[in-house]
Amino acid sequence: MSSLTLRNLKKRFGTVDVIRGVDLDVSDGEFVVFVGPSGCGKSTLLRMISGLEDVTSGELRIGDRIVNEVQPAKRGVAMVFQSYALYPHLTVRENMGFGLKVRKVAVAERGRRVAEAAALLRLESLLDRFPRELSGGQRQRVAIGRAIVGYPDVFLFDEPLSNLDAELRVHMRSEIAALHKRLGNTMIYVTHDQVEAMTLADKIVVLRDGFIEQIGSPRELYERPDNVFVAQFIGSPKMNILPAASAAGLGTGPSGTAQIGIRPEHLSVVPSAEGELVGTVLVSEYTGASSLLHIALDSGETCLVVADATEIAPDARVGLRADKGSIHCFNSAGQALKKH
Amino acid sequence: MTNLLSQPRLKVIKQICWTLSLGVVAIPFVFPFLWMISAGLKGPSEIFGQPSLIPTELRWSNYLEVFSYQPFARQYFNSLYIAVAVTVLTLFISSLAGYALARLRFAGAALVGLFLVSALMVPEEVTIIPNFFLIRWLGLSDTHWPLILLPVFGPQGIVGTFLMRQYFLALPKELEEAGKMDGLSRLGVWWRIALPMSRPALAAVAIITFLNSWNLFLEPLIFISSLEKFTLPLALSNFTDPYGSPLWHLQLAATTLAVGPILIVYLIAQRQIIESFALSGVKG
Amino acid sequence: MARKLARHTGGQDKTVPWLTLKMRETMEAWLFISPTLAGFLIFFVGPLVAVVWYSLTEWNLLSQQSVFVGLDNYQDALVRNADFWKVVRNSIIFAIGLVPLNMGMALALALALSRPFRGVIFFRTVFFAPVVTSAVAWAIVWKFLLQGDAGFVNQLLAQVGIHGPNWLREPDWAMVAVIITRVIKMVGLNMILYIAALQAIPRDYEAAARLEGASSWQIFRMITWPLLGPTTLVIMVITTIGSFKVFDHIYLMTGGGPENGTLVLAFYIYQQGFQFFDVGYASALAMIMFVIVMGLTITQLALRRRDT
Repeated sequence: MSSLTLRNLKKRFGTVDVIRGVDLDVSDGEFVVFVGPSGCGKSTLLRMISGLEDVTSGELRIGDRIVNEVQPAKRGVAMVFQSYALYPHLTVRENMGFGLKVRKVAVAERGRRVAEAAALLRLESLLDRFPRELSGGQRQRVAIGRAIVGYPDVFLFDEPLSNLDAELRVHMRSEIAALHKRLGNTMIYVTHDQVEAMTLADKIVVLRDGFIEQIGSPRELYERPDNVFVAQFIGSPKMNILPAASAAGLGTGPSGTAQIGIRPEHLSVVPSAEGELVGTVLVSEYTGASSLLHIALDSGETCLVVADATEIAPDARVGLRADKGSIHCFNSAGQALKKH
Repeated sequence: MTNLLSQPRLKVIKQICWTLSLGVVAIPFVFPFLWMISAGLKGPSEIFGQPSLIPTELRWSNYLEVFSYQPFARQYFNSLYIAVAVTVLTLFISSLAGYALARLRFAGAALVGLFLVSALMVPEEVTIIPNFFLIRWLGLSDTHWPLILLPVFGPQGIVGTFLMRQYFLALPKELEEAGKMDGLSRLGVWWRIALPMSRPALAAVAIITFLNSWNLFLEPLIFISSLEKFTLPLALSNFTDPYGSPLWHLQLAATTLAVGPILIVYLIAQRQIIESFALSGVKG
Repeated sequence: MARKLARHTGGQDKTVPWLTLKMRETMEAWLFISPTLAGFLIFFVGPLVAVVWYSLTEWNLLSQQSVFVGLDNYQDALVRNADFWKVVRNSIIFAIGLVPLNMGMALALALALSRPFRGVIFFRTVFFAPVVTSAVAWAIVWKFLLQGDAGFVNQLLAQVGIHGPNWLREPDWAMVAVIITRVIKMVGLNMILYIAALQAIPRDYEAAARLEGASSWQIFRMITWPLLGPTTLVIMVITTIGSFKVFDHIYLMTGGGPENGTLVLAFYIYQQGFQFFDVGYASALAMIMFVIVMGLTITQLALRRRDT
């Protein structure tokens, strides 16, 4: 009942097309992450679902209802904002209960729901504080609590963790994952951080320039990217893309292969004589568990390799060998070609 | 050695000279107020005697006479209630319009804004004649309505509108969106989220609007003819003998009564009041 | 509890709304702005149109008759009536006297009071006090202080052996007196605008210039003054328009006299319209005022555009 359907959805600001035809099906209880570089339209798409932006054309359904022109509060969605958007003049309790009050939910019921959400998010001791008296992580939890108390069908998260420091972000990420497991609601989550996307999502939607580049599970996107953009966007450090001619040593792809992609973690360093590719080490970035090597290939390109942490001096001549089955072939338009 | 000693002393001397010269410049700013208070307590004869800031005898009876000479209490009240009415109405109307200009996307927003701004450049003397006929046609001559309507919808209201707009623009938009998600209507977002967060701007608009109404002169002069409907500025100019010469002791006592409370409030809240004017000026 | 939370309960109606979100927003916007807009049309745009019409008619308040006379009223002003040019001259003298004096003094005071020292709040409060005072009160007190021989100012001058003029009874001195007392009344406003602008200039600029050995004057000339440019322009526009608006001050201090020596445009309009009931002529004057003020404003704004 809280599935979500987008059909040829478009958004235009003045003369600028921000969303240029998006089709998407989200089933009940799914955790979907919109990811893409800044300006790709992911936030706009989320705001269209919330009703904060109107739909220029296309069809937007929540459950079995077309909600294109339904006001935000009547869509059965709740939103967690990047800046938390807590009302500064209200306490935590009042912030969480505000929407219920506006919707004229009885006082007792309101209190019960706020207490329930506060318990879930361990906010009981903070209920009478003002937002300015809370830490970033606590504010984030209040913002989530405010969304919970309305019993929405769908939760919308607009880059909710980007204002937190790195450590807290990892922690909150797991809290959100736990929350989803617990509540089982449909959740849509916008982020530019592909690690967040990979760890949280049942389904990732990669957007660029108002189009969907690919939809799939994290594993599908990692293992079978549809095109060069997705291949490079998902995974860190990003995939090496080499002209087919330079990468001939790695093997030849199906006909029409113009570019060969290989992830840095799927290359290993071998003596230069045994290498499928040969080059010179430019820089070696030691990160503890491994080293990231920047290698100038003899064919002219630069290539990244994740190597074990053995020391390799700059200027050393090295050979590279690819794992079997981890080579991606793309045509000249950047579309992935089926492997034989 | 002497140099080391004289360095801080030089600084102190410099500081004193600096303060003294500013003090001299300040004389024409302060002195009229002092003289106003002093002369308001003198008798008619002493006023033109040897000038002295301290009256030989404090004639408090001037202050009683002020109220018997014309219905000064009534006039005082008129000014007060008109200023309050203008302030409340202006806050309401200009914050509504300011909110629309700041937040709502609608065709013609820029044009409306431009129209309103251009009105600020037109002196009210330009439109006062047709407004006089308009008010008369509406049957509102010699009532307080024009003293309320013209400022609310005139330049003062527009200044308020833009001041509010500027402030609304700087508020975080997500808060209002959260309000929308929480189920507030547009009016609800304005009233329960935008306004509570805009207290400084509302205070600024209130201050300049109240003072402007309190000090308004041209409109009362043109629209009001009955003595008991006068506002303070008009009443003050009316302390004259039958030949039109000012009755200084009464006029200055009345002026003290009119200016005094404003000055006291100003001295208490000078920081806030000065900032309000700074805000309203920056908008241009 | 998990499933209970997931079941939606917020009472949503299944009907399709008859208003699109965009239409709703537009409607709300016009609703919000309509009181202001209505007032603006009724009390500003309407009268502005009416004054154009009035200026083309001869209308006597007493006889209640209006006759279309074309540009006659303008001819009266520009050609036939000698008073008009005197009024224009007075207005220009008033503006030329007031604007630079006001702005120069405001800037000087702002420079003196823009950084903290003991007493800075006191002085700011003092210099701003006349701004919150009613123009009527201010005019009354100064009129009192500036009386002939009995006035306080002249008695003070007599102490140092100067025989002061009868300030408000001699045309030239009356103009000087109204300009100076007006500047004292209003300079505080421009002062705080300048203070705000000065405090918005990052201190780093000055520090950097000092390290390069610039003198205080050089810093003012090369850094402070250019950065104050936009503020100066705004202040200039406001002050110039303000100088053409001055009415109460003149009305109370000199009544336009002596010998029309302080008869300025705003007052002249009032006099012709509301004392002599010559509505057509007064409306023509209002139109001329409108053109002058608009012209000055546009010129000043154009000057800035050229600068930047």
